[in-house]
Parts: sequence; structure tokens; C-alpha cells
Amino acid sequence: MKITRRDLLVWGAGATAGLVFTPVPWKLLSDVSIWTQNWRWIPQPTHRPVDVKGSFCTLCPNGCGMRVRMVAGWPVGVAGVRSHPISRGALCPLGFAAHQLIWHPQRLRTVRHRGSASSWDEAHVAFAKACTEGPVVIVDGYPGHAASSLFEAFAEKQRGSYRVVSGPEAQALTPYETWSGVPAAALGYDLENVRTIVSFGAPLLDGWGTPGQFTRLWAERAVGSADPDLRLIQIEPSLSRTAARAWQRSAIHPGGETALAAGIARVLLEEQLVQARGPMPPLTLAQSAEQSGLSTDAIRDLARLIVGRPPVVAIASDDNPSIAALNVLLGAVGTRGGIVQKSKHAKSHLPAESELDSVRAVLIDSSVPGDFVPRTDAEVFRFAAWDGGSSKADWLLPAPGFLEELTDIPTAPTSAIETYAIASSLVKAPPGVQSAAQFLGRVDPDLTPVDKIIHTRCEALFRARAGTLCAQETTPVAMIPSVEKLEEQLRIGAVWMGEPQHPGGLRCKLSEWPQAPRSECPPCNSLGTWQAPVLPPLASKLYQESSLREGPERRNA
Amino acid sequence: MSTRYGMVIDLDRCTGCGACMVACAAENNVPPLPQATSRTGLTPMLVRRVSNGMEGQARREVFIPILCMHCEHETPCVSVCPQQAVELDKGTGIVMQMPQRCLGCRYCMTACPYHARYFNWWDPAWPQGMEKSLNPGVAVRMRGVVEKCNLCHARLHSAKEKAAAAGKREIDPADYVPACVEACPTAAIQFGNLADKDDPVSREAHSPDAFRFLERIGTEPKVYYKSGEAWVRALKGSVSEVEVKRG
Repeated sequence: MKITRRDLLVWGAGATAGLVFTPVPWKLLSDVSIWTQNWRWIPQPTHRPVDVKGSFCTLCPNGCGMRVRMVAGWPVGVAGVRSHPISRGALCPLGFAAHQLIWHPQRLRTVRHRGSASSWDEAHVAFAKACTEGPVVIVDGYPGHAASSLFEAFAEKQRGSYRVVSGPEAQALTPYETWSGVPAAALGYDLENVRTIVSFGAPLLDGWGTPGQFTRLWAERAVGSADPDLRLIQIEPSLSRTAARAWQRSAIHPGGETALAAGIARVLLEEQLVQARGPMPPLTLAQSAEQSGLSTDAIRDLARLIVGRPPVVAIASDDNPSIAALNVLLGAVGTRGGIVQKSKHAKSHLPAESELDSVRAVLIDSSVPGDFVPRTDAEVFRFAAWDGGSSKADWLLPAPGFLEELTDIPTAPTSAIETYAIASSLVKAPPGVQSAAQFLGRVDPDLTPVDKIIHTRCEALFRARAGTLCAQETTPVAMIPSVEKLEEQLRIGAVWMGEPQHPGGLRCKLSEWPQAPRSECPPCNSLGTWQAPVLPPLASKLYQESSLREGPERRNA
Repeated sequence: MSTRYGMVIDLDRCTGCGACMVACAAENNVPPLPQATSRTGLTPMLVRRVSNGMEGQARREVFIPILCMHCEHETPCVSVCPQQAVELDKGTGIVMQMPQRCLGCRYCMTACPYHARYFNWWDPAWPQGMEKSLNPGVAVRMRGVVEKCNLCHARLHSAKEKAAAAGKREIDPADYVPACVEACPTAAIQFGNLADKDDPVSREAHSPDAFRFLERIGTEPKVYYKSGEAWVRALKGSVSEVEVKRG
């Protein structure tokens, strides 16, 4: 039999067509696919034993309890700690991916001076020279930390000043400081006992205060009933996530909070719905209605609704004094379920937002949000763990990042009870990184370092023999045998919780209705309250891949 | 006793914070891809914001976490997969996805009535050094395959290993909690054994306010939702309606 060229072509074509009906090409395709999906440069997890450590989130001043899973010395996951008395096992969405911030692409690793590479030695020389030439201002974002004591001591020795940048929750308490003389840092909200909350744009269900505290209370006491034990009334121009889940909501004109608070106060006084007899707000009810966008009848109904289930407290999203005055009228200051004094030791601090005149240098700690720009002509030394490349500071100094620094966690700004915790350094900071406290310690070696301040604070707690230590079990401090044991427990994730203060110690005197200097922009809660320095990369799930939140503005742009 | 893992999600408790989405991604080594969008992202747990369509004071909104419903009966994705890359685990009721078998044909995405499956368009990539943060219990998400929620199966493995080490046959339910359940700050997501009548989740699933999406098509999904609001319960007829009413 002679095989022709035509036979070969037919056989080849037939074989090719037949091959398609066998598993061979598909298996080859699959194998090639798997092979190309597993290039050697595709990252793989490290398979080592998992170690679990207790720590605290330092993204914001609230310090939620965290359980950090560690592999080969690196964090691979975080979860909340149910035994934490305030956060109660909850974390905000950013907290769940915060362990990845160590490797954030915007991580600052070298000293920068006016955009050029520099060194720590040059920064030290420049700062030491500034200290000899004039007063220095230290700006802190987390007042009350051990590093804050160091900053205050340095500023005092250099005849400079210590300033604070507060979050919106802390700012909302400043009017009471003016009227009562008690520092705002010593005040908090007794949310456990309140039964009606009137929120003027405060994002209570969107990261306000300690994220787990109010959301748990709300879930336990406000959900599942048409007439819940805890009534949340949200007053806000837009349908925020808090407004969407509130028991009642009132849509008002943007910036109408001040007028509405005055209108509610007028109704409360005219109809004698509260014990207070004044002061009467200057706005008429018609003016309040016009400015707030609600009808006069709606304001009357709202006022009656608010007092229908005491204790009641109004929560502002900023330092609006009209809303604070409404609380005074409602009798929500210094009473159970209202605004209470939690500490007798907290101090008042100067705000950093005002102009810093006659200053030679400003040192800004890494705890200060990245969008803070001091109003000064002085030389600015800015510590930051991350930077978008747009900082206006003269000196940009790389600071330790998340979980890289030993720090303590004082009481959260909105909490009604004192707490104390220690976040140990779980990860070794990269070379060339210094905290502001370490930097100042080199300038002035006589300053007490942070670890010794923390030890001193533990000694004070131990000597007072008050409060309890909350870990898996709750132990009275009086039962702890030594200060070393107390500090050891705190360093592995326990939380000290103080005794509740008697609410009656706080009194506000209000002779006339406050003039409200309206803020330049209406309250905005699209990003929560305290903005993280940078977003964890997995926050893309929130901002790009779902419709939950509007994309964050580029704050440093 | 047979086990049928499932969830009850109380929509009245969900504040739409998104902690479940981020915790899920971190647990399952989902890469943070800057190019991903709402159409191309890998979100085994996706929270959708849905309104009642009204405006002004009458407008109501709810947040609905959507994940694989782990259909028990004639599971659509199982029946269409040409590679047997999806199967219903008889022992747990979990619908398992095996990316090594997946061809990436995406029939299952078309078949899934809940739109809870996602195609992975890109090789997994992290910023330099961030690969050290990968969860060692879970593989990285490979390119060109379909992904979905597997109820944090790696955690079930860990719980089984722990039970075996202790000489027990059954796991302690406290040892197996999916990441989204653990992360929810309001305890809106409850997880348990639907086959156990004494399990709180099983009881919640049979409450009058509980419902399942697209129950009428008979796939017996094991993710239940719950709401006291009638307009929310009325959404159960159509997931596409949920999508239309987004935003």
C-alpha cells in the first residue's frame, strides 16, 4: 500500500480533530494553567507555628483590645478581645487589616529634609540648635500617653509649650470644660445607662468613640423592637449609615444643628418639659424652623419625644456649644446616663489648631493625624510612620509603625470609666526609625524614657489598690501580689479598669445661651471620626469594591 | 448527628461597617489589588446597601451581607461545573471550591442565582514585604479561577486537628467560627449547625422573621436572613432586585 501525501494530510487532520475529543488537550491546558498560576515569584504564606499575643490597636486613641496571630515574628491576622471591658471584642474594619500597615507602600523609612534625603544626625543638630534659639512647641495626638508626659517635661524644660490635636469626640466635650472648669479629658458619656440619645450628626454607628462599645449597646438594647429600651434619634442632613439604622431620624438643612438645638431648647423651656428655667435661646421657634428645615410642629414633636424616655443625652459631632447647652437644659450633665466626670487627674491642654506665634520650632508626634498642618512660620519636625509624599513639614522623620512601639493606652476619650493598658512592641521596627520620644531623649538624656514612665504608672495603680484587672478573668488589683505581676499582665493584653465615679460631681453654669460659632463645613462622617494616617490596603474592599462608603479624599493632596 | 453548617444574619443589627468584608479578605489571603472595582474585585463576603426606593423621611435602608448561600439541594454551581471543582461536602454541608481543578470557565458564576462567585482576574500580589502577613492556614488566591466563600474551611481543619489532638471525634463549636462571624461588632451574623434543633442558629432560622433569598427555586440555601421590617423581608424574592435597589 502506497502512502500518498494526501493520505498523510487526511490522517493528520483526522488525528488533530479527534484529539479535541480526548482529555489530552484539556488536561494539558489545565496543567499549563496551574503551572502559570504558581510561578515561583507568586508569594506564599510562611508555614511556621502560630503564636497568639495580646495587644491593643493604636490607629486611634480608643485602643481597642486585639488578639494578634504571629508567625515567624510577623503579624498574620488580628481579632478582637471579648474580655476588653470597653471594646468588648469589636474592632473597626480598618483594625482588621491594620497589621498590614507595617509594609504599606507609603511607609516612611528615611529622614527627609525639605524633600531631600537627610540623616538623623542632621535632624538632631537642627532641632538642638532650634531649642537653643527659641521656644519649641510639641504637638501630641494622643494626650495622656507615657510619651505625652515626656513631651510635657521636655516642653517645660525648654520653656516651650505642649499642644494637643483632639479628635472630634473629644472636641465635642470642650464646651463643658468652659462652663464647669473640669478638663474635657476628664469627661465621658455614660452610655451604659442612657435611654435616649439625640445625635446631631455624630456617626455613632460608624466608628464613633470605641467602635465596639456603642454598637454592642445598640445591638443589645435598640434592635428588634418598635419601642426599644435605647432610643437613637439621628438628626442629620444626609442618610448616613447611622441615620439608616436609627430609631428615628430627622433630615435637616446642612449646618442647621445649631438652630435646631436652640429650637428644641425653646420648646423645652416654654412647655416646661425640663426642670431648668433658662437661659432662653435668642432664636424664635419660627427662625429655628426656617434655619433647620424642620417645621415648628416637627420641632415641638421632637422636643416632646426627646424627654419622653429619660435619661437622655445629646451628642454633637463637633464642639457646637448650642448642643452642649441643650444637654445642660436636659439635665444630662453630671447625671447618670449623661455626661460624667471619669477622672480627677486629667489635665487641660492647649489646642494646637491656634496660631503658633514666636516659636522657633514645632515638633509633631506621629500620633497627630496627617492632615494637621500647624499655623506657624517655625521650622516643623514631623514624625510619621507613613507619608503620601505631600507633607509640608521641613523635616519628615520616620516613626515606628503599627505594633512596632511600646506605648500605653490611657482612657478612651468618650469612655465614662478610666482604663489603662499597655501595647507592647510585637514587631521589631525597621532600621533607621525613631519615635519622637526617643528623639527627644537623645536631645535631653535626663528625660525619663517611656518604659520607665509606664513602670511608674503601674506602680501608681498598684499602690492605689483600686480597680480591677480584666483579662480572661477579672481580678481586683488588691489581689495582685506585686507591681511586677501587674505590669506583666498589662503587657500581655490585660486592661486595668477603674471604679466608676459618682456622676454628681460635675456642674455646668450657663447664664446665657451660647453664641454658636458655626464650623466652616457641615459635619461629615463619611470616614468615621478619627481618620487613620493611611488606610490599610484591604480597605479597598470598603471603598472600591462595595457601595458602603464614598472614596476617601486624598487628605494630603 | 449530621452537621449542616449555616448562618442567620440579622439585618436589623447590621450597620454596614464592612468589618466582615475586611476580616474575610485578611483571613483568606485576598490580595489588595488597586485595580479591582465593584465588578472585578474578589469579595467572598460583600455587603450591599439597599433602600426601599422611597425618598425623604420615608426612605429606609438596610445593609445585606451577601456570601455563598451553600445551597443544599441541586446546588447550581455543582451541577454545571465541568471539572468537578465544586462539591457539596456531605459531612458538613459546605459547598467547597477547589481552585486547583477549576478551569476558569465561569459557568458556575452564571449558574449561581445569588451572584456570590467571583472570578480572579489577576495574579495575587502584595506591596513589597506584605507577603509576610499572609495567613499560613490558607493558600493564596490563584489567578484565572472562580472563588467564593467556603465558610473559612481552614478554621474547620484547625478545629478538627485540635479535637484529634485531644482525642475527641467532635470539634468544640467555639473552635470553629468563620472570620466574618468573629468580626461582626453587633453579632448580626450567627453561625452554627442547622441540623441541630437545639442550636440557637437553628432556632433563629425558624423564627417568623427569618427568610432565605430565592427560596422558591428550591436550592435550600443554608444562609438565612432575618428582619422585623416587612419591606426587607419582601426582598427575598429576587437577589437581582437587591442589586437594582443598591445605593
